[in-house]
Amino acid sequence: MSVRLIVRTVSELCITVGVVIILFVSYVLFWTGVTADSAMNDQIEQLQRQWSQAAVGATAAPGGSSPKKPAPYVPGRPFALMYIPRLGFTWNKPVLEDTAVDTLKKGLGHYAGTAQLGQEGNFAVAGHRRTYGDPFKDFPTLRPGDAVVLTDGTTWFTYRIDKGPYKTVPTDIEVIDPVPRKSGYQDPGRYLTLTTCDPEWGHSHRLIVWAHLDSTQPVEAGKPAALRR
Amino acid sequence: MYGWIWRHLPGNAWVKALISLLLALAVVYVLFQYVFPWAEPLLPFNDVTVNNQ
Repeated sequence: MSVRLIVRTVSELCITVGVVIILFVSYVLFWTGVTADSAMNDQIEQLQRQWSQAAVGATAAPGGSSPKKPAPYVPGRPFALMYIPRLGFTWNKPVLEDTAVDTLKKGLGHYAGTAQLGQEGNFAVAGHRRTYGDPFKDFPTLRPGDAVVLTDGTTWFTYRIDKGPYKTVPTDIEVIDPVPRKSGYQDPGRYLTLTTCDPEWGHSHRLIVWAHLDSTQPVEAGKPAALRR
Repeated sequence: MYGWIWRHLPGNAWVKALISLLLALAVVYVLFQYVFPWAEPLLPFNDVTVNNQ
């Protein structure tokens, strides 16, 4: 009687653990994508609301012709939208300040302390390769010459990729330096760095691409050429 | 284990089946809402930065 009870209980526990593992896998592969997609849409809506309010303010007090330095970004809050045509014509993700685990669940993360969008220095952004909506799933397909377009609500910034994907180790923090040495850039300039993990499901390495600011145009001038079909 | 739960649920077989279903759903909810979000960052998929900021 008692042996039978023990065997039955152990079997039931094994089946339960198996079911929980299957549920966890489906959570990681599928459910994080569902929650991340809705979180990213929330962030994009927030941005658009913010920008439409700012536009009303801007018409009341027109700024100078020279682009002024943007206000400091608030940690965990969105401040820009990124478009990469190579990753899909409809691919666009919000960019949030800082690279905390919770921030990266809601979009791409801008390394705190690196340059601001379009400014002198290195605008560095990290994103998930897998899980949480797989934003950088097709990262290895990026090639030199590809456009990375960002907007902060007033200006379109078109960056062109110069080097990458470059594989490195997680401790290689030099890649987000203002002038990243391994990128081949020699002089200070307006650069962009994207980082994600490699291999696809691992964390032993990182993939990097570097880009330089190619052109800017005000949003009133319409979408930049890189985003037109 | 499950037999013990089944015997301690009230009502006839249909009521027991309904309560079992609700219990199972509650467990799945707790797992998805609290347990998995806690466990997921322990996996390597979150390491996408170069300086562990």
